[in-house]
This record gives sequence, C-alpha cells and structure tokens, in this order.
Amino acid sequence: MNIINYSGVTKRYNSWPRGNKVLALDGFSLQIEQGEVFGFLGPNGAGKSTALKILLNFVYPSAGTVSLMGRSVSDRRARSLVGYLPENPYFYDYLTAKEILWFGGKASGLHTNEIQDRTEMLLDKMGLKVSSERPLRTYSKGMVQRAGIALALVHDPEVVVLDEPMSGLDPIGRKLVGDLIRELKTQGKTVFFSSHILTDVERFCDRAGIIVGGKLRLVGNMADLLSGEGTLENVFMREVKTAVGGGSR
Amino acid sequence: MSALLPIALITFKEGTRNRSFYGISLLALLLMGASFFISGMVIRDVGKVAVDMALSTVSFAGLLLVLFVGIDLMAKDLDKRTIYMVLARPISRQQYIVGKFLGISLLVVGTVFLLSIFGAISISAIKWANPDYFPRFSWGLVFLAEAFIAVSLILLSAMSFLFASVSSTSFLTLILTIMSYIIGHSLSSVKALVEAPQAAGITVSPLTVKLVQAAYFLFPNLSLFDIKMQAAHGLSLPMTYIIWTLCYGIVYICLVILFAALLFRKKEFP
Repeated sequence: MNIINYSGVTKRYNSWPRGNKVLALDGFSLQIEQGEVFGFLGPNGAGKSTALKILLNFVYPSAGTVSLMGRSVSDRRARSLVGYLPENPYFYDYLTAKEILWFGGKASGLHTNEIQDRTEMLLDKMGLKVSSERPLRTYSKGMVQRAGIALALVHDPEVVVLDEPMSGLDPIGRKLVGDLIRELKTQGKTVFFSSHILTDVERFCDRAGIIVGGKLRLVGNMADLLSGEGTLENVFMREVKTAVGGGSR
Repeated sequence: MSALLPIALITFKEGTRNRSFYGISLLALLLMGASFFISGMVIRDVGKVAVDMALSTVSFAGLLLVLFVGIDLMAKDLDKRTIYMVLARPISRQQYIVGKFLGISLLVVGTVFLLSIFGAISISAIKWANPDYFPRFSWGLVFLAEAFIAVSLILLSAMSFLFASVSSTSFLTLILTIMSYIIGHSLSSVKALVEAPQAAGITVSPLTVKLVQAAYFLFPNLSLFDIKMQAAHGLSLPMTYIIWTLCYGIVYICLVILFAALLFRKKEFP
C-alpha cells in the first residue's frame, strides 16, 4: 500500500519583485510503501526540502497531487499520524523540551497520561532527560536536533519525515538517530528522510531516490542501486554528472 | 477547539517568559511609583493626575507589549520557521491564527489585569495621602477604562495579525501596526475637522473629505476606547455608549481575525 504518493508534482517559486520563477520541482512522482525506510538524496537546492514541505502542506504544489495515507495533504487530518523533523529545527526559545512535547502530544490529540509516558521515554532515549526542564535556547545545536526528533515521535506516528536528521549531530547523536530509524523500521513505521550522508542512507534504507534539478533521476532498491557501481557515492556522482551534463534517463 | 488551546497556551507561556515582558512590567511599575511622587508636586487636581497617570501607564505598557512582544511572537514563527512545529500537526493555518491570537489576547488581558492591580495600589496610596482631592472618584470608572484599554489592545493585536498575514517582514508589520494605532486614535478628530473646516478657518478639498471618511470606516476607531479623561474627572458614561463600544470592539476584532485567517490560508512557508 502506498502511504506517500507524489504524482506529477511541479513547484515554481515566484521571486518577487523581479518576477522570475524558480522551478524547484519538475513533474516529480514518487510512491513510498508502508513500512519502508526511504532515503532521499540530492545536491543542495535539488528540491528535497521542497518535496518534503509539500508533503507537510507548508508549500502548495503548482501542479500535480500529493497524498498521505490516502488523504490529500491539503486535508489537515492527513498529518495526524505524521511526525516531522525540519532541517535545522528552531523552537520557542523560552519553552522547555517537556513543554514542546506536551504541545506536540496535545495538538495530535493524545491524553495527558499518554503524553507524560511518551515524553519520559523519548527524552530518556534522546539523552535529554536531565535538561528537560531547561529553556530550549540554552540547548546546543545537537540537543535542539534531538529535541526535534523527540517532538516528531511524541504521538507515535505511522509516518516519520526527517529532513537532514543527522545535521549538527556528533557521532553519538548520529548513532542514536541511526538506532532509532532501525527501531522504527522494526515497528513497521514508514520513514522518509533526506540526507547528504550517503553511508547513512546505504545503512538504513530499503530504497533510495536521487533528485537533481527538481527531477527525480533514479529510484530503486538499495541492492539494485549498488549492484552496478558498488557504492552509493558512485551512483550519486554519476546521476548528478548526467543531470548537469544535460543527460536524461 | 482542541487544537486552539495548546497553541494559545504555548503562546502565552512564551510571551510571559520573554525578557521584553519583564522590561515592560518593570517600566510600568516605575511609572506607577513615580506617579506617587509626581502627585506630591501637584498643587491642585491630585486625584485627576493620579488616575490619569495610572491609566496612561497601563495603556502605554500594554501598547509596548503588543508592539514588542505580541508582534515578536508571531514574527518569530514566520521568520525562524517555528511555525513548522505547529503546522506539522493536524492543525490548519486558520486554527493557527485563531489559537495564536487567543494566546496573545490572554497575555494582553493578564498583563492589563496585573498592571491594573498596581495602578489600584498607586491610586489608593495617593488617595490615602490626599483624601480631599478625590471628590468624584469612582473605582468603577477606573476599572471600566482599564477594560476598554484591554479591548483596544486586543483590537490592535488583531490588526497586527492581519498585517503579518500579508507582509513579508516583521518590521513592516510593526510599522503598519504603529500606523494603525496613530490613525485609530486621531481619525475621529481629523474627520470632525475636515467635515466642518469652517470652524477652524481652513478649506478642505472634497477628495480629502472622502479619503478621511473612507479611512474612518476602514481603520478601527481606537479613540472610542479612550475614556481616561472621564475616569480622571469622575464623569459617568451612558450605558448605551459602554455596550455599543464593546460590541464595536468585539465585532471589529472578529472580522479582522476572520480576514487574517482567510489571507493566511494562502501563505506558504518555504
């Protein structure tokens, strides 16, 4: 069953007041199945974050349709079972990790007891239990990232969308997030994450896709992708060179 | 409704912990304290000065709160993208606007209430020291004036939401909100002047009259809520004025927030 479905999505940003349009996504189609861990790769400005933001309804597609668990992403109910970590997350300065998790749980319809239990468990798992009562502005970048991951998971979502989850994390933090992605997979959750760290994608993902210049260049099972070139880095470089050179698949 | 409460509560909490909030409260306290000494220097009308000082302090501190804490709470969401944390939940953009507005309104009401207590203490102290100067004093009028200040500040916050829904920067929102405040407080006087220019010995073009009349219907008439003078002089207000002014404020606030929510529906957060 396709849990995420992009169909012919195009996104143009208007560059006001100059009037020229930036094409961020060009006829982008992608299907992700339930229980899959999908790695989304691409150079900077390729359209990865735009694709994720359209899925969360932060930006609207200029053309095409996007659905999440069978609902159009414009329907707010589609987000009830989705957890999202933005790239370089920023939260309210004066609130604590416990308070943002309370908000995440309440806004997703959880009961107070459930929120308390999940908050304790997640903050412990993310190594933030000791600092859970401190305002978030006193957190380091890695701590904010981990608090963001806890917020994304507080309501036990079916689909987890992570935009550069390893960004700003030290090796311990990266291992923590890696283990978490594996754990989510064993729980049957769908994980859709973008990353620049190709080895992470190789290690954690069932499938991966490479986007360049707003176009999805390649999608496939990890084993199939690696069968010819040996490493994901080689595959990635080949696709980027082909796209930049004007080639098409 | 279940989505509005969490947004309102985190907005209120973030607002009360903002350093600017403490700065504004401290400034208000200092002004209240100063009014005690200033009233000692006044020869006549001590009661009027005490009431006017207390109410002006509440109004000024409330204005600073709306401009520097209220707008900042909204601006941070848009500029630093903390809005992702809200909109990634099953919350619509309209619910976000209403929830955020409720949170800021709660902050305004709470602050005005707190400052009103300090104001009451300040007035009581001056009244105790100078009992002869409060012949027509009425606590009811003072509290009514403070309630009107709260409504006008909530209305100004609603205007800032409307501007934030269409403007691209928080600075522009701030400028437009300040303009609304100035226009809202002076428009009824300007309208009276351009409609009867012969009284002031000036001539006004018909176009100017039409423009001022149009602005009068577009911008909120904040001067309606300014009853500091009546409270200071102990002049009673007709009940119809009180009811109609409150109704005007509530209807205006609802319409502005509705319009802001409609505009916000189209907004994207790349």
